[in-house]
Amino acid sequence: MTVSTIPDLDEILRSLLRRHLTEAEVFVKRGRSRRLELTAVTEASSTSQEKAWAVRAGHRKGSLFAAGTGDPTPGPWPDVTGRAVELPEPMAGAPWNPPSDFDTPLIGEREGLKLLESLGRELASELPRARLLRGVLEDGSSESELASSRGVRTRSRSRLSTLYLEAAGPGPAAPTATLYVAAREPRRFHPTALARRLADRLAVSAAGGPPERDTGEFLLAPPVAVRLLAGLLPLLVGPAAGFRVTSLRGRLGSDAVTLIDNGRLPGGAFESAVDGEGVPTREVVLVEEGIFRQPLLTWWQEGSHLGVSSGCVRRAGWRDIPNPGPTHFYLKPDPRTPVATLLGAVNQGYYLIDVTGPGRFDLAEDRFALPVCGFAVQAGRASAPVAGAWLCGGIAAFLRGVLGVGRDLAFQPLDGMIGSPSVLATGLELRARL
Amino acid sequence: MPFSELDTPAVARTLSQIAEKPEDLVDAYFERREEIELAPEGESSGLRVWREEGFAVRLAREGKTWLAARDSIEPRAFAEALRQVARALSSAAYPEPALQVRPPAEAPAAQELLGFPAALSRAVRAHHVGFPVRFAVRRHQRWVQVVGPRLVPGPEAETFYSCVAEASWGRYGALLTRLDAEAATTMAASIVSLFRARQAASPEPFRGVAVLGPAAVAVLLHEAVAHALEADTLAQGGNPEAAVGVAMAAASLDVLDDPAAAPEGVRRATDDEGSAVVRRWLLRGGIVEQPLADSLWALTSPVLLPGAGRRGSRHLPPGPRSSHLEILPGEASQEDLLAEADEGLYLPEASRGSLDTLSGEFTLHLPFARRIRRGGLAETVGPCFLRGRVADLLTRVTAVGDEAKPAGAGWCAKGGQKMPVWATAPALRLEGVEVGS
Repeated sequence: MTVSTIPDLDEILRSLLRRHLTEAEVFVKRGRSRRLELTAVTEASSTSQEKAWAVRAGHRKGSLFAAGTGDPTPGPWPDVTGRAVELPEPMAGAPWNPPSDFDTPLIGEREGLKLLESLGRELASELPRARLLRGVLEDGSSESELASSRGVRTRSRSRLSTLYLEAAGPGPAAPTATLYVAAREPRRFHPTALARRLADRLAVSAAGGPPERDTGEFLLAPPVAVRLLAGLLPLLVGPAAGFRVTSLRGRLGSDAVTLIDNGRLPGGAFESAVDGEGVPTREVVLVEEGIFRQPLLTWWQEGSHLGVSSGCVRRAGWRDIPNPGPTHFYLKPDPRTPVATLLGAVNQGYYLIDVTGPGRFDLAEDRFALPVCGFAVQAGRASAPVAGAWLCGGIAAFLRGVLGVGRDLAFQPLDGMIGSPSVLATGLELRARL
Repeated sequence: MPFSELDTPAVARTLSQIAEKPEDLVDAYFERREEIELAPEGESSGLRVWREEGFAVRLAREGKTWLAARDSIEPRAFAEALRQVARALSSAAYPEPALQVRPPAEAPAAQELLGFPAALSRAVRAHHVGFPVRFAVRRHQRWVQVVGPRLVPGPEAETFYSCVAEASWGRYGALLTRLDAEAATTMAASIVSLFRARQAASPEPFRGVAVLGPAAVAVLLHEAVAHALEADTLAQGGNPEAAVGVAMAAASLDVLDDPAAAPEGVRRATDDEGSAVVRRWLLRGGIVEQPLADSLWALTSPVLLPGAGRRGSRHLPPGPRSSHLEILPGEASQEDLLAEADEGLYLPEASRGSLDTLSGEFTLHLPFARRIRRGGLAETVGPCFLRGRVADLLTRVTAVGDEAKPAGAGWCAKGGQKMPVWATAPALRLEGVEVGS
């Protein structure tokens, strides 16, 4: 696969310069995607070819943003208003080779539908009479090019597949569960593992109830730990993050807590050599063995007292204005620790396997609440299903209470890709209601 | 109109080549969108412009749909898309119809946006309160032309505005069809109510009487009636036509979906599939009369009428969705509604609602409420929610207000398709409902 013909970006930059817009950036994107949707009674196959562009430009007194489909044309441009826009200088990044799976063709219609059908079958075999209500598989690839008046000129490619599943358990008052996962290509989705995850959640939702109020040791499966990490993100992004973290006082986490963001994480869904402004990406350790090192910083936020910057300005699509945020933000796993070892360490507590709705995070008050399901655990063994419960606690207490992490790192598409292995923690509470 | 010069007969002839069976559903959907946003004060790119156009060709046969979309309106791209959705390979290339589209207006501009943040600020200050707040205002325009092999309806156009207020204590968003003084006054009143309720404690959970204001009613019935009666939602539990005739709500509740009666600017004569819209009685006297259906679902049963097919994007197939919900007024005055609701709660607005389509479990999130005492509104309480099962909750309506107002416009996201929805609703009184916090 090669980068397709993209119009002359210099011509667009020249047209902006003629309007005295000395800070200018042109972004063009070409994409192809296939979308397959399966329900109990319908089946839909869509193919799309996308072709679009975006321009940011300005001078000392203001700026503009314009975006559209087709090829960019040299104007007309909207009025320049608001604040000035600042663009990065060209920066050298470490060498990087595009992964070979960027070249794999999009999934075919039959192959994609087979994947969705097999998910339905696997679900029914894991949990008899459970059914897949809706499955949506999207698979896309794109190439983009960026040029700016500062001399930045980059080309990048991406490949992303997402899978959304809605399932219902057996019985007339059937519980439902949803799942949304992303990978670089759809062949990485394993129907048996995904069906098992849905089936587990449906089974505990049907049979479980919440404890009135309980504490103990908590083993949090990756989907639960990931949601907690996502809720903590505002503490770690941007120059004000240092202040927020300081307000938590002392260590940020236990020795087992190392938090990293890496825009070029090998195998990551958003793996790329550059970010949405053409700045090279790299790995940044934000928290190392519980000690806060630095916040996630963009090129314009870099300062010697804050830490070093990385390419972390995301451009989710051509319609979006570039915005700072994590790309692959994760809790470092411990390759020596299987999940079974962590579960065996739970004397009295809970193994929480999934999140069942949106959580509540109050960073100012240092508390969170997350609706969860899972199992009560006695002496390392599941003793009863738990559902309809809220996992509650303080953010600082959670991070400091991490006793160990597993090796089963898994990512979820939330605000960027957020990843975590299973986490064994104390200092949390399970409640029937808030 | 960008599509007034489109050679629709030629497009129709081309489409007829892929409709091999009489029951095949084939259409081409052309759209242009323009959005202009005045960003919040202090942000770069004060004026932001998005312009896009493209088309989708669709073939539906025996419950299966094939769709091909492009981000340009060009003859060659159209012929390629036809080839992608056609089930039988044509030995000859498909013809490339002339696709003449009028270019967009020269420099994008939206003068009406420029003064609205200041008008809103003035309207907020008129309540004798002051707090830092930033406004983003966006104009949304869409032009649509649908072409079928046998039917070419007229073009459609929509224009509306979205406005978001952001303050340190919260966020409020609204959809508007005009940016005038009345819109500023109404939105400012909601923002000030939220501000005044920002530190109010949530009420203790209780089961009792609640009076819902028109805006909260619109969200409630959008989730509990409109979504619940979409043919694809009904199909999750069985045959959609089986819902017809079911008593779903109190006999005092009449709920319609009528895109032709929507506010000016978003009023429609045809849907996004080119079918004529209908004044659709979702509930008449509390009984299900006509579920929401698009062309595809209407093919499955003579009971289901098309006309409610909507598309959030050309890249996705259409689906049955509500556009403009209308709840008919009853006979209770505001005083009557409150008089019978002593020690209950008045719920003026809802921030969002959600429905578990399979279990019928419904939750309406309310950013604040007022206590009702001695037939009047008393102190403000903080965030709470109204919860219940649709089948039970809607039977608890005991009175319908006598004045229906435009209310509850907002974004609705289902199946990855985000669309504006509109409503006209009176206030309702419900008894024996569960309010939690």
